[in-house]
Amino acid sequence: MLILGIETATEQVSVAIGGHEGVLGMFEVCRGRRHAETLTPAIQFVCQQADIELAEIGLVAVDVGPGLFTGMRVGLAAGKALAQALRVPMIGMSSLDLLAFPVRHTSRTIAAVIDARKGELFYACYKPVPGGVQRVLEPRCGRVDDLIADLMARGDDTICVGDGALRYADEIKNDLNCEFAEQFSSRPSAGPLVQLAHARALREDWVNPWEIHPLYLRLPDAQINWSSRVQGNTDATGGTVR
Amino acid sequence: MSGFDVSDVPLRPSGRPSRPVDEHTLVLGIETSCDETAAALVLGGDDVASSVVSTQVDLHAQYGGVVPEIASRAHLDMLNPIVARAIVEAGVPESRIDAVACTIGPGLIGALLVGVSAAKSLALAWDVPFVGVHHHEAHLYAAFLEDPTLEFPLVVLLVSGGHTMLIEMQDHGRYRLLGRTIDDAAGEAFDKVARFLGLGYPGGPAIDREAVNGDPEAIAFPRAMLHDGLDVSFSGLKTAVMNHVRKHPDVSSEDVAASFQAAVVDVLVHKSRRAAQQVGAKGLVLAGGVAANSSLRERFLDACVADGVQGFLPSREMCTDNAAMIAAAGWHRLRADGATPLDCGAFPNLRIPGLT
Ligand SMILES: [Zn+2]
Repeated sequence: MLILGIETATEQVSVAIGGHEGVLGMFEVCRGRRHAETLTPAIQFVCQQADIELAEIGLVAVDVGPGLFTGMRVGLAAGKALAQALRVPMIGMSSLDLLAFPVRHTSRTIAAVIDARKGELFYACYKPVPGGVQRVLEPRCGRVDDLIADLMARGDDTICVGDGALRYADEIKNDLNCEFAEQFSSRPSAGPLVQLAHARALREDWVNPWEIHPLYLRLPDAQINWSSRVQGNTDATGGTVR
Repeated sequence: MSGFDVSDVPLRPSGRPSRPVDEHTLVLGIETSCDETAAALVLGGDDVASSVVSTQVDLHAQYGGVVPEIASRAHLDMLNPIVARAIVEAGVPESRIDAVACTIGPGLIGALLVGVSAAKSLALAWDVPFVGVHHHEAHLYAAFLEDPTLEFPLVVLLVSGGHTMLIEMQDHGRYRLLGRTIDDAAGEAFDKVARFLGLGYPGGPAIDREAVNGDPEAIAFPRAMLHDGLDVSFSGLKTAVMNHVRKHPDVSSEDVAASFQAAVVDVLVHKSRRAAQQVGAKGLVLAGGVAANSSLRERFLDACVADGVQGFLPSREMCTDNAAMIAAAGWHRLRADGATPLDCGAFPNLRIPGLT
C-alpha cells in the first residue's frame, strides 16, 4: 500500500510517499512560502517525480500536532480532503512522536520539544524500545521551567530534540546535564511519518477522515481570557444598561 | 532539506483541460471565510443542486463577536461532513463535479486557509480545476441564483458584518465602487449597539427583534453624511446611541433599537436610491448578511417601487454567507479566467477583481 504523508506542524512543509519499499519520494522546505501556497504543489510534485498517480495512494498520514495552529490546520485540512476524495483511510501521528522516532538509537530518555511560541513549549518523553520509541510522558504544553522540572523529576539521562529544545538550550543546559540532537533533526518530517504510518497500516490501525482530530494542547486565547474573567469578576463586562 | 524551490516546479494548471464552461458545468463551492462552514453544488452558474451551511454562531455568542481561532478549529471539524452532505443532497456522483471553487478572501486568514487547503486537495484528487473566489463578488452573485434574468447595469448594496459598499455591476466581472463606509460596517454597528443594549450576539437579528415593538421615531438619531456623496458613516450614530442611553437610563431599549435601526436603514436606502439614479441602473439589489434585516428589506423594496427600478432581494439564506454563491461566482470566474493555480493561498484583504 502506498502512503502519502503530510507534515506541516512547524515552519516546515514536508510531503513524502512511501510503502513497503521505504520512502519513494519526498519534498521538504523550510523558510519557504507559507504552508498553503507550498503544500498542494508539493504533493503534485512528489507524485509526478515518483511517477505515482494520486489514485494509487491507499492511505493518507498526517501530523496532528501539537504545533503551530494555522500551519498545522493547512496540512490537516488538505490531508482530510484528499482522503475523503480518494476514499482512503487516514492515520494521524503526533509531531512529538515524529521528532523522537529518528533519535531512537540511544540509551537515553528522549525529550521531544516543539517551540509553541508565546514563551511556551509542547513536549513529551520517550524511552527507546526495540524498533522504535515508547512514550513515557504524555504530550503537554508548558514553559521551559515546567520542562526542566519534568525532566529533573524523571532523573534519567536525557537527549533533547526539536526546535523548542534548541531555542531554550541554554536554560536547559544550565539545570540539567543532557545531550541535544543535532539541528538537522529538529523538525518533524514526513519521512518518519510515512515509515511509522506504514507499520500501523499493516495492522489496519487506521481511521476515517472525520475521525482525525488535531492535538492542540492549548485553548484559544479568547477561551483562556474568558474563563479567567468569569472566575475573577463576574461584573467585568460592564457598560450594559440592563 | 531538499534543494527545490516550489516556484521552480513546473506546474500543470490545476485540473485536467476541462471542456467548455457551460450550462452543464457542475461546480462545488466551499466557504469558510468567517463563521459559517458551507458547501454547495451549482449547475451552470445558477442552478442550485444543494447548499449546506453550518453556522458557528453559538460558539462565538458568549464572546460577542467571531473569535478567529475558535472559527478555524470549527471549520476544520465541520468541512468534511458538510462537503459530503452537499454531494449527497445533490444526488450526483463525485465524478460529475467539474470544478472546485472556494473563497480565497477577504476574511479571517486562519479560517480561509482551512477552506482553501481542502478545496485545492479536492481539485487535485478529482483532477478538476480549482477556482479562487472573492467573497464579496460571490455576494453579488447571490442575486443571480434566484433571478438569472437581472439586467445590467445593477447597483448592489452589499451590507454585512465586515463591509458596507455600494457597487455598480456593469457586467459579469466588471464592477465600480460607488461608495463605502468610512468607518464601521453596518453589521458592526448593529453588533456594537446590540452589545451595548445587552441584546446579545449577533446584533442584527437581536436589534431587528427588539425594534418590532419600538417606535422608530422615538429618538432622532443623526443620519450622517446623508446628502454628501455615496459614502456612509456609522460611528457617530453608534456614539449618539450610547450617549442617549447614558443620559436617559430609563429609556425603553425597544425604542432605542427601533430608532437606531431606522437611522441605519434611512441612510442605506437613501444612498442606494441616489446611486441607482446616478448610474441609471436597471436594477437595485440587496446583498450581504445585513440584507436579512426585515426593516431594510421592506424599505428597500418600497423605494424601488417608488423609483420604478427593478428591485431584488435575495432570500435570507442567500443573503447570509453560503457556498452556493461561491459556486456561482466560481462558475463565472472559471469561464472568464480559467483555473486558479494550485499555489494559491488566502488573502485576508483581497480586493474585488475587476473593480474600478
Ligand atoms: Zn459574507
